[in-house]
Amino acid sequence: MDRIYDFTIIGAGVVGNAVARELSRYLLDGSKEVNMAVLEKELDVVCETSGRNSGVLHAGFNNKPGSKMAKFCVEGNLEFDQVAKELDIPFVRTGKVVVGFDDDDMKQLLKSKEQGDMNGCPGLEIIDKKRLNELAQNVGGEFAMYSPMTGIMDPFDYTIALAENAYDNGVEYYFGDAVEDINRVNELYIIKTKKKTYKAKWIINCAGLNSDKISKMLGIDGYEIYPCRGEYIILDKKMGEYLNMPVYPVVNPKQGGLGIHLTPSVDGNVFIGPSADYLDCCDDYSATKPVIDMLFEEGKKLLPYIKREYFIRNFSGIRPKLTNKGGYEDFVIEARDEAPNTVNLVGIESPGLTSATPIGREVVRLIKEKTLLRENPNFNPFRKAQVVFHKQPIDVQRKLIEKDPNYGEIVCRCETITKAEVLNAINNPLGVDTVTGIKYRCRCMMGRCQGGYCQTRVTELIQDVKHKKREEILYNREGSYMFTGKVRG
Amino acid sequence: MIREFTCIICPNGCDLVATIEDNKIISIEGTLCDKGNKYAEQEIIDPQRTISSLVVVNNGEIPLASVRLSKPISKDRIFDVMNEIKKIKLDAPVTIGTVVKENILGLDSDLIATKNVKERL
Amino acid sequence: MAVINKDVIIVGGGAGGLAAAVELRKQGIEDILIIEREKELGGILRQCIHDGFGLTRFKETLSGPEYAQRFIDEVDKLGIDYLTDTTVLEITSDKRITSVSKDGLNEYQAKAIVLTMGCRERTRGALSIPGSRPTGIYTAGVAQMYVNLKNTMVGRDVMILGSGDIGLIMARRLTLEGANVHAVFARGDTPRGLPRNVEQCLNDYNIPLYLSHNVTQIHGKNRLEGITISEVGKDNAPIPGTEKYYPCDTLILSVGLIPENELSLKAGVTLDNRTKGAYVDENYQTNVEGIFAAGNVLHVHDLVDFVSIEAEKLADAVVEYVKNNSLPECPIVVETDKMINYTIPQKISGNRDVSLSFRVKKNVKNVTLQVLQDGETIYKKKLKKAITSEMEQIRLKKDLFKSRSNIKVVITV
Repeated sequence: MDRIYDFTIIGAGVVGNAVARELSRYLLDGSKEVNMAVLEKELDVVCETSGRNSGVLHAGFNNKPGSKMAKFCVEGNLEFDQVAKELDIPFVRTGKVVVGFDDDDMKQLLKSKEQGDMNGCPGLEIIDKKRLNELAQNVGGEFAMYSPMTGIMDPFDYTIALAENAYDNGVEYYFGDAVEDINRVNELYIIKTKKKTYKAKWIINCAGLNSDKISKMLGIDGYEIYPCRGEYIILDKKMGEYLNMPVYPVVNPKQGGLGIHLTPSVDGNVFIGPSADYLDCCDDYSATKPVIDMLFEEGKKLLPYIKREYFIRNFSGIRPKLTNKGGYEDFVIEARDEAPNTVNLVGIESPGLTSATPIGREVVRLIKEKTLLRENPNFNPFRKAQVVFHKQPIDVQRKLIEKDPNYGEIVCRCETITKAEVLNAINNPLGVDTVTGIKYRCRCMMGRCQGGYCQTRVTELIQDVKHKKREEILYNREGSYMFTGKVRG
Repeated sequence: MIREFTCIICPNGCDLVATIEDNKIISIEGTLCDKGNKYAEQEIIDPQRTISSLVVVNNGEIPLASVRLSKPISKDRIFDVMNEIKKIKLDAPVTIGTVVKENILGLDSDLIATKNVKERL
Repeated sequence: MAVINKDVIIVGGGAGGLAAAVELRKQGIEDILIIEREKELGGILRQCIHDGFGLTRFKETLSGPEYAQRFIDEVDKLGIDYLTDTTVLEITSDKRITSVSKDGLNEYQAKAIVLTMGCRERTRGALSIPGSRPTGIYTAGVAQMYVNLKNTMVGRDVMILGSGDIGLIMARRLTLEGANVHAVFARGDTPRGLPRNVEQCLNDYNIPLYLSHNVTQIHGKNRLEGITISEVGKDNAPIPGTEKYYPCDTLILSVGLIPENELSLKAGVTLDNRTKGAYVDENYQTNVEGIFAAGNVLHVHDLVDFVSIEAEKLADAVVEYVKNNSLPECPIVVETDKMINYTIPQKISGNRDVSLSFRVKKNVKNVTLQVLQDGETIYKKKLKKAITSEMEQIRLKKDLFKSRSNIKVVITV
């Protein structure tokens, strides 16, 4: 492999993809085109922390003034209308309320407001019960802090859109390629992965839960990631009718999380969570009974309408925390002398999703301090999402079916997803062909029957289009086979 | 030896208790009718079962046709019959009721198709 | 968009829809349309290749596809219109239906709508089984579709959770196709499936059934590696110290069916929380005038023969409704005591003979079923045996009813 990449990004999460996109606005001096690779150990771009969170665009009042977290969160929040437009992803600035019940809560809320004001979050208000009932009708609480700038997005859509736009602008993606060793030889980095060896001038570490390990490989010791799991429950869309904005309890500063909150999703579901449990390893996504029960109880305090029969599924995410004592340590985004031509990102937990694009720009800024970057004249910031049939008005739906009858065949009944959308998802530009990859790109199998109707159709379509044998179909990761072969023949 | 089981002949679902000694039925209790008695006897001496399974269809709109036995066979021959079924390949079109294999393994039961499968165009 | 008028639209061409269509046509309703989302008519029967269907109706033991074909043949013979590969997107309370297919979107205005959409399965997600998230966990119906219709084998070493019929059937199915089905675990203290299935799907193959057990942990990172089972008490809470680990690569869940009423809800149909199906009167009419329901979408059946009968009774009422634009009132509410889970219908007129279908909450033997009205017993029947897994029926003649007061169905020992 004699190809030498200008830049190699390790980790294709929301941060890695945001960095790829921002960096693809530029060319390394001497290069005529984008010469960048993203190395991802999993088989898709949004497998770990990036896809396992509340999907909230935070306003920035939870972060320490002067920190990178505060700076990039506020920046990311303020610019997101533009980002969402460019990437053609759903986003709603719903606002958010942090509800309180007693005097201690009020003291904490006033602190949060002060912190938010210092960080530059517009419009924060302490509101009374009457106003709370106007804004968030069914929610429990005596008073609240209202943050009008908070919003909700689909973290799958955002991460995938960033990657597709980066890809469109010339960035190459390599999946199933975990980095095992990094060496510096003659001013170049030799990156040994599971499958190959890559050569690159620059390395940007965006490895999230494994960013401490990559950091060590770069020669930067001293960081340790403390994985902290948060479990969530997803509720039926019927619950979405009762909740129009995220509702959080007052933060317990000792906990190192934002507390069990309720978040509506852009598709109308409701998330309860997350919990916070430190783990010994960084990939144990198990659900636990005591936590699920606790989420249910806590959720009911904020929204009394919640019933167990509305549980669709549960999932968990793991925060790559830099502290195991609760609270937060600031983002590490650095270009260190002992690791020349690198940018090291460690511990990008919440508000990482909100901060992703500003973090991308920060990485560019750090690279510019060390080397010359020219503007890429061919950079296109726009990415078009595929048409979502059920969101279109009837006359548009008609035309879609006329042009492509596959828009008339419903594959996922619960979410009303058509065969054309599933096929588009299977034919995605990054070449991802896992079942979850397809699921995230068209929303099939995400409804209340959890694939009871459509899973058999989706796996069959993947087999046909990608010419895969049954036993080659993977659900999400290597080894996650679904079938053992044919019954006959 | 005492054996308890449920009669399946009709919705009454009588609970039956049979006393067996030296492989001979000493008594059957709980039946309400003669069909039940006959079922109980058969069930103890030589339980009979039907089998439903699948055979490959070449060039059909769907890959498999469901099949079943026309009459029950001895329970202890189930897997022998299954092995025969696994060997069978049909060509589309397949019609419900067609005898796919007559007198399978000489057990006086035919394997019949239970699904219409049209030819793939 | 030109709205197409129809006398009767049947949503769902499975057992219920087919029987309703045939009976409607036989009674003179010409303008019928069945809308079916699958490629073929037949509904869930298409994948139920085992026999046992049609014992009471045809006096034969047929497989699911054969049972369905009897009705499909009649539909073809009678020239009843149907659309396949067509999904109903919306039903409104004024009986407008929007459907979509490869040929485009259509809007219909129906005089009467028959809801026969069947059920979906309760999922793992809805159970929140603790543990990791590997592949290899399938609901029984999905496994059945893979094996019987898609020629796809789901695993080799199988455990089954739930003693419902579908799980028992799949235990046998998978065994016959070469998998090792190691055990069936179920929360309750009695099997939920029919005794015939426990006998012929488990006992025949020496597959043990562990009642009062539940899966309390899933293990395996990418593909299932094993499950932890615990004994559970009467409250379904796991008993600490009883955990046992069982290696396996496949877990089949047969943990309940939920009537598929999403379209019904949007049409304003009120559901009964006990059945998760619509509240209906003896005409199988829901609270929305002109919208009727039968089959599994109304309440989960265990014998398809009864689905056909129910749909045919519904057809009688729909014929009357289409002719007269209304049906007689049904003011008498059918109440139940705590031994009975529910009755269908939930309301009756008292002016006609009526059949009540019901299920008991616990298995009982040698009990008396009584129907009370105004404090008096108007009907009495000795039941030698009634089990939770089998639907029971009683027929009440119209002269039994003394007034328009509510009636109560009770079971006394």
